[in-house]
Amino acid sequence: MIKNGLKRFYLILIFILLYAPIVTLMVLSFNSSKSRSKWGGFTGKWYVALFQNQDIMNALYTTLIIALVSALVATIIGTAAAIGIQAMKPKFRTFMMGVTNIPMLNADIVTGISLMLLFIAFRFSLGFMTILLAHITFNIPYVILSVMPKLKQTSKHTYEAAMDLGASPVYAFFKVVFPDIMPGVFSGFLLAFTMSLDDFVITHFTKGPGVDTLSTKIYSEVRKGIKPEMYALSTIMFVTVLILLILVNVTPEKKASSSGQKQEIKKKHRISRFIFRKVVPTAIVIVIIAGGFFYGSQNSDAGNNQVIVYNWGEYIDPEVLTMFEEETGIDVVYEEFETNEIMYPKIQSGAIAYDVVCPSDYMVQRMIENDLLAEIDFNNIPNLKYIDSTYMEQSRQFDPENKYSVPYLFGTVGILYNKTMVDEPIDSWSVLWDPKYKDSILMQDSVRDAFGVTLKYLGYSLNSTDLDELNEAKNLLIKQKPLVQAYVVDQVRDKMIGNEAAIGVIYSGEALYTKQENPNLEYVIPKEGSNLWIDSWVIPKNAKHKENAEKFIDYLCRPEIAKMNFDYITYSIPNSEGRKLIEEDWMRESKVAFPDPEDLANCETFKFLGDDNDAVYNQLWREVKSK
Amino acid sequence: MSNKLIDIVNITKSFDENVVLDQLNLYIRENEFLTLLGPSGCGKTTLLRILGGFETPDSGDIIFDGKNINNLPPNKRQLNTVFQKYALFSHMSIAENIAFGLKIKGKSKGYIQDKIRYALKLVNLEGYEDRTPDSLSGGQQQRIAIARAIVNEPKVLLLDEPLGALDLKLRQDMQYELIRLKNELGITFVYVTHDQEEALTMSDTIVVMNQGYIQQIGTPEDIYNEPQNAFVADFIGDSNILPATMVEDKVVKMLGAVWQCVDVGFGRNKPVDAVIRPEDIDLVKPEEGIIEGVVTHLIFKGVHYEMEVLANNYELLVHSTDMFPVGTEVGIKVDPFDIQIMKKPESEDAEAVGIEE
Repeated sequence: MIKNGLKRFYLILIFILLYAPIVTLMVLSFNSSKSRSKWGGFTGKWYVALFQNQDIMNALYTTLIIALVSALVATIIGTAAAIGIQAMKPKFRTFMMGVTNIPMLNADIVTGISLMLLFIAFRFSLGFMTILLAHITFNIPYVILSVMPKLKQTSKHTYEAAMDLGASPVYAFFKVVFPDIMPGVFSGFLLAFTMSLDDFVITHFTKGPGVDTLSTKIYSEVRKGIKPEMYALSTIMFVTVLILLILVNVTPEKKASSSGQKQEIKKKHRISRFIFRKVVPTAIVIVIIAGGFFYGSQNSDAGNNQVIVYNWGEYIDPEVLTMFEEETGIDVVYEEFETNEIMYPKIQSGAIAYDVVCPSDYMVQRMIENDLLAEIDFNNIPNLKYIDSTYMEQSRQFDPENKYSVPYLFGTVGILYNKTMVDEPIDSWSVLWDPKYKDSILMQDSVRDAFGVTLKYLGYSLNSTDLDELNEAKNLLIKQKPLVQAYVVDQVRDKMIGNEAAIGVIYSGEALYTKQENPNLEYVIPKEGSNLWIDSWVIPKNAKHKENAEKFIDYLCRPEIAKMNFDYITYSIPNSEGRKLIEEDWMRESKVAFPDPEDLANCETFKFLGDDNDAVYNQLWREVKSK
Repeated sequence: MSNKLIDIVNITKSFDENVVLDQLNLYIRENEFLTLLGPSGCGKTTLLRILGGFETPDSGDIIFDGKNINNLPPNKRQLNTVFQKYALFSHMSIAENIAFGLKIKGKSKGYIQDKIRYALKLVNLEGYEDRTPDSLSGGQQQRIAIARAIVNEPKVLLLDEPLGALDLKLRQDMQYELIRLKNELGITFVYVTHDQEEALTMSDTIVVMNQGYIQQIGTPEDIYNEPQNAFVADFIGDSNILPATMVEDKVVKMLGAVWQCVDVGFGRNKPVDAVIRPEDIDLVKPEEGIIEGVVTHLIFKGVHYEMEVLANNYELLVHSTDMFPVGTEVGIKVDPFDIQIMKKPESEDAEAVGIEE
């Protein structure tokens, strides 16, 4: 008895562990409070909001169309392949089955990347079609896998008997063989459909600008903070997939075992007839209608009057895009990247012809060096006059003739300190080596930032490649180690607000935010100089809508638009007229957000130092960290 | 009998270097019940599949009604096949199964209905239209398979061991059914089996095959009574095959004695094989026989007793309605008509007889 009780308890425990996350998600999707920890009463409003969100609904259409079309095509190809394989000699059959199984065992990321490379090699531009092709590709093995056993059960004699009775091979196949393997084909279709719905990694690598499936959409939304609509969406997806899986597992059940089960057989036939007469045609109709909708919406986009924008996540006020579209009639196809390093290969490969991209300083330099950028026709950008000349000058560090880039946002690296915890006003990097502040110092845990700070303190360039200078910096960093409370990235902000440390190396954008939370915090750009970063708009050489791109850049240079983006992103804008429009005095006059030109005198932007020098930096940084 | 319907000329077929049929010649007459008989792997099913169009011969020709049909696909041939495993379409009702070929030919609904009823009556399964194949017994399924084939009014019906999966009683019933069908329909049957009794019961002509070669062609009586070589003799029924010497015409020496027989033309003092059917050996009193022997085994078989008799160091198989207990000394007699003399084969290949009737 006790043993049984334990067994049951164990089982229940496992089910709780398995399903608790999903149940939590489902419960939260009905929570009227946005907070994750507080129950605000039952509501269906997130579901309503979900269906009103045009972006998500578009992604849903795309997902369904891709899932249905890819599953249909994969089912046709896969079934044909299974029949071919079945007809092979056993030796080849085993070999072919092995070959077709490999893609299923292969890591998704490998499949995704190799498909992307293939598309790029064959000059396919990434977009809806490439996702579809990729999904068909990875779905085919699943169809083969589920059709094959059914084919093995099917006697070849029935096919021959049909031929013998006068049926052509095609007629014999559809009349006699197909009904026999139908359950396998159908479960293959459902499996393929589910896999397609489910896929993120492969889609991520093969998608182009402006096309999102639910999974990639959710992923990009998650980066901005999860909205409750996503709980609702995830709940719907989970339930859908659950239903599909139940269908897959129930349909191919029992092939009437004994002869007496006439009823059973009749029922089975009714199901298969139902599926063939009703479900499949309905699915096809849905595909066509949804496809019509999709291409209807897509075609208005896909006209020549568009601009394809490739920007950092959360790096523009969405309202600005809408306003731009309304004013100019140009459709904005908007795509986001997470880092410069993810963006660069996409531009370099030419797989997608982006019209306007927003890389950081050193990446602009690298793109110029690799001849990836088009010269901007500044006659088309009259609003450039609103950009402060200081930043045009600073841009010369990476764009020496100011020919390729227009500054968009910028920031600095400096010291954030707590007035109540230090004795004197701070104006030099030297405090980072002051034993007084032992265990009260926070350093950036990134190689270029840490070395940049140290090199500047030593009076060298933060782009130094001189081994002696770098070794000197390394030794200094090692010397600093006992004083440092922690090497961190994002936590500097929170720890400083919480009075956990006295001094921290921080980006100006974050420093601005901390001041609102803790008035004792002060930000300073040390007198030795620091890192100034500038993200700029550039136009790739293969842009198809260069004039629209220039219109877009010009639009962003308008003072009121620059100000909208400042409000939304809260990073510094180089737009001096835009700055004047900021309502709050302290913000407008903030030296953190808008440093004086003389503060920037000793500042430098990072440069791309080449792979060899990167390796040297990384090696030295490892030495520092491991000491 | 009437003229040739199918002429099989020099057919060779091999699978992966394994020669299944070698330079085979055979013709089939209209209205004939022809049986291809032989052990498994003798090539009989392959030959049937070549006739049906499911295999293509490596060389040679199939002439059907004067036309070469080598490259005609199965669905264009005026032949229908009844498969060993019935091959009914399990997702269709019996009526749909039978109507399959007729629908393809575009026959009218009324015609199809009539045909279904007629065919079911022919195979004694009236009223089974709406049943599904899985709900029928093996024999019923087989009869449906036959019905499905014959409604198309083929000129030739090919049957591939159609009774193999049935039990003995059912098999015997079906044998009579098939004979009745053949007589009613007046179409040519080509029947493949490894069961000699089936072949002897139903056929007009039996073709005995072994290892891709035809061993003998003849009426059941010919095949049974006058086997032309040891393989045929051994395969058709039980027999005693004894080494012997032909002393002269109508005189043969075997089992240490000289016997009278009816065969001529083997030359003088030539080694031969002699075949004696077990039921043709008469056991008599020791002094009345040509040679003597001792009964060593006795089994009751129902219709007769089966005995083994040791005579001059040879075990002879004897079927008799009289019983002789084990240990009895007996005399052995054989009627001259019941001794069948065969040439001794010099090699295995020579066992194969090229037949020109």
